[in-house]
Amino acid sequence: MSARAARPAALARRFAPEIALIAVLVVLPAALPYIRGGTYDIANRILDWGLFGLGFDLLFGFTGLLSFGQAAFYGAGGFVAAYLLIAPFTTNAVVALIVGTVAASIFGVIVGYLSLRRTGIYFAMLTLAFNEMFFFLDISPLARWTGGENGVAGVPEPRLGFGLFTININDPGGLYWLLVVLFVVGFWLARRIVASPFGAVLRAVRENGARAAAVGHDVPKYKLTIFVIAAAYSGLAGGLLGLLQGYMPPDAFYLDTSGQLVVQTIIGGAGTLIGPLIGATVWLYLYTLLQNIAGIGALWKMILGIIFVVLVTIFRHGICGAVTLLWRRLSPQPPPAAEPPPPAEPERRAAEPRRSAQRPPPSGPVVLATRNLTKRYGGLTAVDDVSFELREGEIRAVIGPNGAGKSTFFNMLANVIPPSSGTIEFKGEDITGLGATLVCQRGISKSFQINQIFPSLTVRDNLRIPVLARAYGKFHPFMLRAVTRDAAVNAGIEEAASSVQLRDRLDVPAAELAYGEKRRLEIGLALATQPQILLLDEPTAGMSPAERTDTVRLLRRIAAGLTIVIVEHDMDVVFGLADRITVLFNGRKIAEGAPDAIQGNPDVRAAYLGSQAAHEPA
Amino acid sequence: MGLTIIFGALGVVNFAHGALYGVGAYAGFVTYEYTGSFVAAMAAGAAFLLVVGVVVERGLIRLYYQRPPEDQILVTFGVAIILVEALRAVFGGLARNIPAPSWAAGIVNLRVTLYPTYRIDVLAIVGASLVLLYFILYRTRLGLIVRAGIEDQLMVNILGINVTRTFLTVFGLGAMAAGFAGVINAPIVTVTPDMGADILVQSFVVVVIGGVGSFWGAVVGGLIAGEILALTAMIQPAYSQVMLFTVMALVLILRPQGLFGVEGRQ
Amino acid sequence: MSLLEVDSINTFYGEAHALFDVSMHVEPHEVVALLGRNGAGKTTTFKTMMGVMAPKSGTIRFNGVSIHGLPPYKIARLGLQLVPEERRIIGGLTVEENIILAGLSVPKPWPPERVYEMFPRLGERRRSRGRELSGGEQQMLTIARALVREPQLILLDEPFEGLAPLIVQDILAICRRLAEEGRTIVIVEQNVEAALSLSKRCYILNNGHMVYEGTPAELRADPDFMHRHLGI
Repeated sequence: MSARAARPAALARRFAPEIALIAVLVVLPAALPYIRGGTYDIANRILDWGLFGLGFDLLFGFTGLLSFGQAAFYGAGGFVAAYLLIAPFTTNAVVALIVGTVAASIFGVIVGYLSLRRTGIYFAMLTLAFNEMFFFLDISPLARWTGGENGVAGVPEPRLGFGLFTININDPGGLYWLLVVLFVVGFWLARRIVASPFGAVLRAVRENGARAAAVGHDVPKYKLTIFVIAAAYSGLAGGLLGLLQGYMPPDAFYLDTSGQLVVQTIIGGAGTLIGPLIGATVWLYLYTLLQNIAGIGALWKMILGIIFVVLVTIFRHGICGAVTLLWRRLSPQPPPAAEPPPPAEPERRAAEPRRSAQRPPPSGPVVLATRNLTKRYGGLTAVDDVSFELREGEIRAVIGPNGAGKSTFFNMLANVIPPSSGTIEFKGEDITGLGATLVCQRGISKSFQINQIFPSLTVRDNLRIPVLARAYGKFHPFMLRAVTRDAAVNAGIEEAASSVQLRDRLDVPAAELAYGEKRRLEIGLALATQPQILLLDEPTAGMSPAERTDTVRLLRRIAAGLTIVIVEHDMDVVFGLADRITVLFNGRKIAEGAPDAIQGNPDVRAAYLGSQAAHEPA
Repeated sequence: MGLTIIFGALGVVNFAHGALYGVGAYAGFVTYEYTGSFVAAMAAGAAFLLVVGVVVERGLIRLYYQRPPEDQILVTFGVAIILVEALRAVFGGLARNIPAPSWAAGIVNLRVTLYPTYRIDVLAIVGASLVLLYFILYRTRLGLIVRAGIEDQLMVNILGINVTRTFLTVFGLGAMAAGFAGVINAPIVTVTPDMGADILVQSFVVVVIGGVGSFWGAVVGGLIAGEILALTAMIQPAYSQVMLFTVMALVLILRPQGLFGVEGRQ
Repeated sequence: MSLLEVDSINTFYGEAHALFDVSMHVEPHEVVALLGRNGAGKTTTFKTMMGVMAPKSGTIRFNGVSIHGLPPYKIARLGLQLVPEERRIIGGLTVEENIILAGLSVPKPWPPERVYEMFPRLGERRRSRGRELSGGEQQMLTIARALVREPQLILLDEPFEGLAPLIVQDILAICRRLAEEGRTIVIVEQNVEAALSLSKRCYILNNGHMVYEGTPAELRADPDFMHRHLGI
């Protein structure tokens, strides 16, 4: 098929959601008279909530940040816009809306910066508290401008000035078309954001923020950026509310408003962008519909609450999720992916010889060095004055009995925890205390003992995250280009997948992989950042003997061109891989050298068997 | 002011569960209306809430222990909506007033200002409740289990104690305390189905300031919060709530674990 | 019938296979050592026995009663008591409160005085909070907590970890005394010498597999084997 001929069909597919949306919205006015309770006013309100919800869905559905305070920005944008029009500082609604949106965004920066210092429940409650703050500010101290509890009345009918021409809107029908345009544009923009590299990182943040940071992304900046974007959407929706009603009410700032947004999004389906619109339809429509049914009328909100709780408990994906599930059940299934080959029978003793063919002793330049590295926790010295040099191309194993300080030492190498004293140098540069994200960008990557993957993303999408960090640096707010069309990134993904033998599993969701495959993905994520130094934390943890042998083979293969530090308990693995071994005991380095020498070293033997070696005071 | 202390103490109880979900439910709980003698109303409010609390926990909340915190918040929020709406359906949405009981009516002349007797009584009741709470926490076996369980739930389990059942009891007691607090508060504010929302936020503020999992933290946090409200109300009433949140934001930025925060272990 | 019978248990951490068909048994009045490098699965075995983790397959019987899958508090009430590594003293409670807490679910617990008789040091510190105790004192307290409950079988997880040599001797003496009193103990230890000096039989775990069962004497007779599985 020639490129030309493909374009219209491909374009249609790419824009299918927008086209469908436009179709529905264009047809709706014709259908309104036939829908019970259908009026332009309701439709307008639904669209306004939908726009408000686009921002929230980006924040919650895609990034996982549950905010109960979006009404703060909704109200802020609304009141600023309304005030400008009433004062009047301008008669141009376009100007008022833009200023309102910008104001909301500025508040978004402030509130976001403060709230994002915490996560989970604390974050949610912080946003709620700021919402309350805005509410109280609105009611009392700023009442002169905001009308306090009465709100601001007299918002004029919108006059949209575009420089050369003006559009006057003086009926709900006209407003409808304004809202349709804004919503469709907002939807398109949100879709682009989601499909962009920026959007991919957002999803990674939702799935596993710590891993996203560890592979080189500046997670706090991403979170703040999306928070501000959500605030902007909220502000615009708020401004439109004023125009809609001719009046800007203080209940725009209510907690109820924030809460309603959350409920609507969940009911419609979070992470779908269209979910909030659907949820708003359900909410507003149910309200209108049930009002008139005797007996149930007053209970509409309770019914909604029950639906909400049921959905959250049983079925997190809302109406959209239900529809998608139904669609999948009904459409013909592709044949299930080939089962991964069954693991070989577990053997008690590995038949492999313990040592691989000897690799040449490492002789390259020193790439990683620690000097007098120490970590103290209160009275306990976990790592005591450890100096260590790693040469390019070397595979170094760090071993030691329990409590030796291996994990602490390793985490300091990975810059996950800062040392109490001492320094770490990477190719001559001091990297002490830089943090995992920056250190990863410079070329040191860690793979975790417990799998830290992005479970609901496919293998391909998993690997995309570190590749993006490598390709574009720690913060790349590029929101307009589709990430799937990035050839360089795609190539990087394929390469990473090949090196860990997951090439044929690229489109499987990570959660569905077998354990051994997940472990490989874990290593693959670290490899995909194209590190110079790879830190492996117990890569064979939880593996059967056969899987361990496979892992050793895999690691030998990828070791070419890399410098590796591996922490391990399994001595077969250690001896199968290491060029040199460093032994820690009670936080100190007690031996370092070739595997043969270490094995025969009496201090090391004693340390492991716990005879006369000195203990640290408790 | 006294109310904030009680709600802070509630926070201790909630964080015994390691999740904030209970507070959201309480938002719904702190609503009720009863007629009859005041004392009967207090008892009824508390008992009713104990039942509701247990039912909600057994039926719903326990499904959420393993789910991410966002889900826990959401379900609590949903339950709160249902409860509030149920109340609205049964009792109507208009604000109601419960007068202070006759034995507490009147005005007391403090040198600085005139003060309604009832509020003094509330302070006394709150004080007594705190003493009771302290007694329970520090002098009874249940309190011992709760204090130990907040710190290391698994270890208490290993020592042969069914911690989950204890926490259920605590949850119920917490619900009861919420109901009790609501009744006490009734004569001071108007009673509406959604009066819980303000309390919810204030309670959270108190816990943030005072610190998670600490009884004294809750008390001190409540005192501080109350003082902020009272003082700013005298100087510049419009800003009192705002001031409260500003302080909370400052605490979160400078010392996130609160003044007396205790790190728990799961 | 053994006091404790573990039969072919397989325990997982999520999907990570930690114990592979592990079997062992403990008879009344004996001290059994469970050895292995760290990461081998020793603590995992204890956790599975105590109900902190449930095995995916296999059985555990205590006094003939199936206990796998039961929650820890029920297993504790049946007479099995874990003394966890890291001691896990409740830092916010006093020494005495820790002792009382341990006895709450037992019909006839040791009164604090009896504990102080055996551990005078703890008596001196009875009003100190858990977090104020030294490592050795904490270890004494955590052993005392188990004794308060008069268990039939004590699981001692790394009692000498992180302690100064002198203190290790103190705790070792306490363990010897418990053994002489005829208590049944399973001890997990990295300090192989100490563990072997206490025990009548020993097991070795390697990468989640049970690779040895025998007596300390038999083990000591094969130093290469010892180093292979316990050393490097």
